[in-house]
Amino acid sequence: MKRYLPIILFLVLFISLLQSLFQDEMDIPSPLIGKNMPSFSLKRLGENTTITDQDLLGEVALINVWATWCVGCKEEHELLLSLAEEPSINLSIIGINWKDQDQLAIRWLDELGNPYQEILSDPIGNTAIDFGVYGAPESFLIDRDGFIRYKHIGPLTLSVWINEIQPLIKELKQ
Amino acid sequence: MKYSVIVLFLLINSNFLIAAEEQLTNDQQEMYQAIIQEVRCLVCQNQSIAESNADLAKDLRAQILEQVITGKTKNEIKSYLLNRYGDFVLYQPVFSQKTLLLWVSPIILLIFIVGWYRKISH
Repeated sequence: MKRYLPIILFLVLFISLLQSLFQDEMDIPSPLIGKNMPSFSLKRLGENTTITDQDLLGEVALINVWATWCVGCKEEHELLLSLAEEPSINLSIIGINWKDQDQLAIRWLDELGNPYQEILSDPIGNTAIDFGVYGAPESFLIDRDGFIRYKHIGPLTLSVWINEIQPLIKELKQ
Repeated sequence: MKYSVIVLFLLINSNFLIAAEEQLTNDQQEMYQAIIQEVRCLVCQNQSIAESNADLAKDLRAQILEQVITGKTKNEIKSYLLNRYGDFVLYQPVFSQKTLLLWVSPIILLIFIVGWYRKISH
């Protein structure tokens, strides 16, 4: 047994290093999961009215951070639209337009369609920092009491929706 | 036209940052520099936000600078970042239950190696 100890040690080290080689470095666990969403007060896109975190309470919501300059946002847009249009899903999708210009964002939505129930404009990006955003698109699932339950970094895909988000929403709506 | 507005905005913005940096006392300047060199730029990993030109790095530098000016301590600013971006954002991980193994494993390994070495040299 003792003779094999170095080999066992080597294998343990080797496997753990090998494993981290295939880890997605961009997928950093958020410390905000399970915590209250940060408080904010932002202008609605293209309007002069404001909306705060308190306004979002009471319903399960998907907060989606996006921008017109973000390539991945265009990728997931189709999916967001079909989620918004499907009545059986009944999920409020809230957009945070991050470090963008209102006119550009409005034109983008006119062209591609608007999946959002509310869109908040965060041109300076302070609210995004409070959400721990470092690259758009990022999506957060918020429960009725305003707690962050899930975060996805990068474009949403059908498999993420089916395997991760949908079951969680079901659970949260119970 | 649109681009010139953006460029102008960026110029004003960066000038503001530079002007604000010049207002710092020596101690504040030192602390500010120390913090931004310790914070990982999550967009362009393996660079600190002091080195990075990514937009988010600039925003975070501005945030940190503002907090230094308002008299926050180094630890307060660090926990501000940790609360939002997690342990990964600092190059030197904090000592916590989650990072215990990370900090202690070299010592355990060293003890192990010394023990093993003494055994084979006998």
